[in-house]
Amino acid sequence: MALIELQDVRKTYRLGSTDVPALRGVSLAIGRGEFTALWGPSGSGKSSLLNLIGLVDRPSAGRVRIDGRDTGGLGDAARARLRNRAIGFVFQGFNLIAVLSALENVMLPLIIRGESHSRAHLLASQRLAEVGLADFARHRPDQLSGGQRQRVAIARALVTDPLLVVADEPTANLDARTGQQVIELMQALNRSHGVTFLFSTHDPRLATYMQRVIRLADGALHDAPDGIPLPQGVAA
Amino acid sequence: MIAFKLALRNLWKNRRRSLATLIAIALGFAAINLFAGYIHNSYNGLRLGSIYGEGLGHLTIARKGFFEQGSLKPEQFLFSETELARLTQVLGAEAGVQVVSPRLSASGLVSNGKLSTIFIAEGEDPALANRIWRRGMGRPKLDPAQPGAGLVSRVLAERLGVKAGGNLVTLSNTLEGQINALDLDVLRVWDTGTAATNDKSLRLPLSYVQKLLDTRGASRVVVLLDEDADADAARAVLAPRLAAAGFEVDIKTWVELSNYYRQVKRLFDLIFAFLFVIVFVVVLMSIINTLSMSVMERVREIGTLRALGMQRWAVVRIFAAEGSLLGLLGSLGGVVLTLLVKLLITLGHVSYTPPSSSSPVPLSISVLPSMLGVTLLVLCLVATLAACWPARRAAHIEIVDALGHV
Ligand SMILES: Nc1ncnc2c1ncn2[C@@H]1O[C@H](COP(=O)(O)OP(=O)(O)O)[C@@H](O)[C@H]1O
Ligand SMILES: [Mg+2]
Repeated sequence: MALIELQDVRKTYRLGSTDVPALRGVSLAIGRGEFTALWGPSGSGKSSLLNLIGLVDRPSAGRVRIDGRDTGGLGDAARARLRNRAIGFVFQGFNLIAVLSALENVMLPLIIRGESHSRAHLLASQRLAEVGLADFARHRPDQLSGGQRQRVAIARALVTDPLLVVADEPTANLDARTGQQVIELMQALNRSHGVTFLFSTHDPRLATYMQRVIRLADGALHDAPDGIPLPQGVAA
Repeated sequence: MIAFKLALRNLWKNRRRSLATLIAIALGFAAINLFAGYIHNSYNGLRLGSIYGEGLGHLTIARKGFFEQGSLKPEQFLFSETELARLTQVLGAEAGVQVVSPRLSASGLVSNGKLSTIFIAEGEDPALANRIWRRGMGRPKLDPAQPGAGLVSRVLAERLGVKAGGNLVTLSNTLEGQINALDLDVLRVWDTGTAATNDKSLRLPLSYVQKLLDTRGASRVVVLLDEDADADAARAVLAPRLAAAGFEVDIKTWVELSNYYRQVKRLFDLIFAFLFVIVFVVVLMSIINTLSMSVMERVREIGTLRALGMQRWAVVRIFAAEGSLLGLLGSLGGVVLTLLVKLLITLGHVSYTPPSSSSPVPLSISVLPSMLGVTLLVLCLVATLAACWPARRAAHIEIVDALGHV
């Protein structure tokens, strides 16, 4: 069974009195342990799609299944619990809590879950070490570089052992080299721990890291080879 | 705990803004407590003034109906000599009763031989009256050894041209209706404290007034309790005892008999309520204002926390914690400020002239622990509840909108 399953998912935003269709019927499946890139130009609906898969937004129509479970009927609190348990988030803007240290940021999802402080501390320390930031545990986000911040965010996304990590343009705010290092880190974690990653990007320089690519244009999937051009070196 | 950690650190991060809010709360807190301390002392001064200075004691006991009709038909409401003895005996047996002093009022004309004017006299046993006495309360003592000597109020004495040691004649109707006249030695001249009574008051030995009215009875019995006794509670105890002893009486407390005290208290209580409401509103508004800014600045953080699985109520808790911390720290600052001002007033020997007085008195303010505690609780509660409003708004921001917010 696929970990993530979307069936004819549509998303329409209301902007004043006009409807803006962002997703026009997307169906796809992502399996356990996959390392998938969501590829498409700006405005193609990548963020909208990731928001639906990450359970922070609801589709206008269609179904979103996670681990075989339809999420359509879940209430607000249940979705929050499911996000906390099953989904890790990496944001374009890092979204670390400014007043918390690197370690405290990584502990946060466990604290939200109600884990004891000592256990959260232990697990978060391990994750922080895995992303190579053991020495920066006590640093505040503003004392870290962009790459370091994104690594903290990755540690935070992984600390709950989620089924899926959703990353919306995780490298967009980083320079090319740092961006590459962040993707390499994600790839390494995918290989060593089998974490399922789904990240969006429109950066062709990351082409070499894409194991599977889902192409999105104007709110719809483009599987046809004559669709939008794939970055060089990626097999369709 | 995460709520308080986030709250504390964000307050520190925005310490300039937090400080402004804390100062507003602390000032309001101190204003409430200093004013409460001032009126508490004023009430206490007025209470002692009523009980000892005016000689009202704690309770005044009279025959049923006396307080309504006693001045029209005094003869109908007298306690006889034997009744007075029994009252004294019954009341004296009660714990906490210090003095039982019969009183009898009279009115008539007082003359210096050439000039006559009206008087109102209060007769009381000198020895007993002198036990209802406090230094500095403006109530000179009578002399038990001089049953023919009384006190004359200042304006009356001036009008009649007498000083201490002078002689006057009082003229009144006995209870039977006969004209009666008695010599009066002026023991002392005293100020009653109010213009309304200063031109006609006499304080006389009870035996003198009894002789003038030709009776052996008295119309009222004043009971002095331990200084800080609760007059209402004492009345509740004494009323059934007196009923059981066969007396049909009305009992009034000093508060009920002191118009001045009740007027001042009503005014001060009103000012206090007004002050409290102002502080309440100031704290409410400044917390709402501060927290609204805090929420606006942290929309993306709220979205992130919600994405990480935080429930809405937990988001509310973060900002509520910020509000209660502001309330708590502001109140603690208020405690310090209150004590500081109190210390400065004490060290600086600050004095002022109260409305009822003609000379300055030292400004005295007691810091009341119970008032500090109540204010702290109320302001913390207000701050927390005020915070809930912006906090609820924070919790209802859509995650997607919040994450997209820059
Ligand atoms: N909150 C919103 N309100 C209105 N329109 C939106 C909103 N979010 C996205 N859109 C529109 O939906 C389309 C897809 O946007 P998005 O999912 O952000 O694409 P991408 O992430 O690929 O740039 C765009 O046309 C965008 O303008
Ligand atoms: Mg986007």
